[in-house]
Amino acid sequence: MKCAESTGTQTLTIKPENIIRIPQGLLGFEQYKEYVLLANPEEAPFQWLQVVGESGLAFLVINPFLVAPDYQPEVGPEDLRSLGLTNPQDAMVFNVVTIRGAGQVTVNLKGPIIVNRHTLVAKQVVPVNALHYSLQFPIPVAG
Amino acid sequence: MLILSRKTSESIIIDGRILVKIVRIEGGMVKVGIDAPSDVPVHRQEVFDEIQRNNVEALTRGRPALPKFGAPRPKPEAPPPPPVVQPVAPAPDPLNASTEGDKADATRPRKTRTTNHRTTAPGQTDKRKTQSET
Repeated sequence: MKCAESTGTQTLTIKPENIIRIPQGLLGFEQYKEYVLLANPEEAPFQWLQVVGESGLAFLVINPFLVAPDYQPEVGPEDLRSLGLTNPQDAMVFNVVTIRGAGQVTVNLKGPIIVNRHTLVAKQVVPVNALHYSLQFPIPVAG
Repeated sequence: MLILSRKTSESIIIDGRILVKIVRIEGGMVKVGIDAPSDVPVHRQEVFDEIQRNNVEALTRGRPALPKFGAPRPKPEAPPPPPVVQPVAPAPDPLNASTEGDKADATRPRKTRTTNHRTTAPGQTDKRKTQSET
């Protein structure tokens, strides 16, 4: 099943093999279970996790290790099992970015989105060590 | 809200498949064990609320302009200032005061400016600029 999605500037055709499924949805947005990850090279390393079927609705995400190289979220065994993850290499991690006023940009290190890169099944996880990490970790941006 | 009283080691079963057990009671703290299918997310409420609230704040509609990611590599250096070329002017001879010319002109440096974009020789119009205006 292919579907066309409009980002406002272009219409893209989404192939089912590019769809990331989040069976439990993101916290607070449990109704949205399918996303695509869009990357504009000019916006790198930011990427868009766009909701399939809801034109324009998206979350800005980033690879957290680019801002916090020591980031080590401990994913609990139940979460690993539900994602079918047996090897850390099979996991992709990205975190939700919030653009706040006055040029401030932060990333949520408390609730990473873990993706099984082979099955493209994902989950927003509360790591065992969530309390060690900031909900609003500042991202340096050019002024 | 359904309120039930339980003693240590007693349990509650929800929806026939979620088990909540009182593991230990110590001081003001209750240790709770939860047995639930893997498709049922279970979180401490305050952490869940925080992340949920953060997601709501983060959600965008349309495509806002993004700031440029700024780290960890250092910002590129600003281009060096253009070289200043000074004419070699004869040093004023304190013994023989010169009355010729304008001393200010002789000592004022003449700058040779190089820019990233094209330079035009004096007297010529910038043809490229004109073309882009048409």
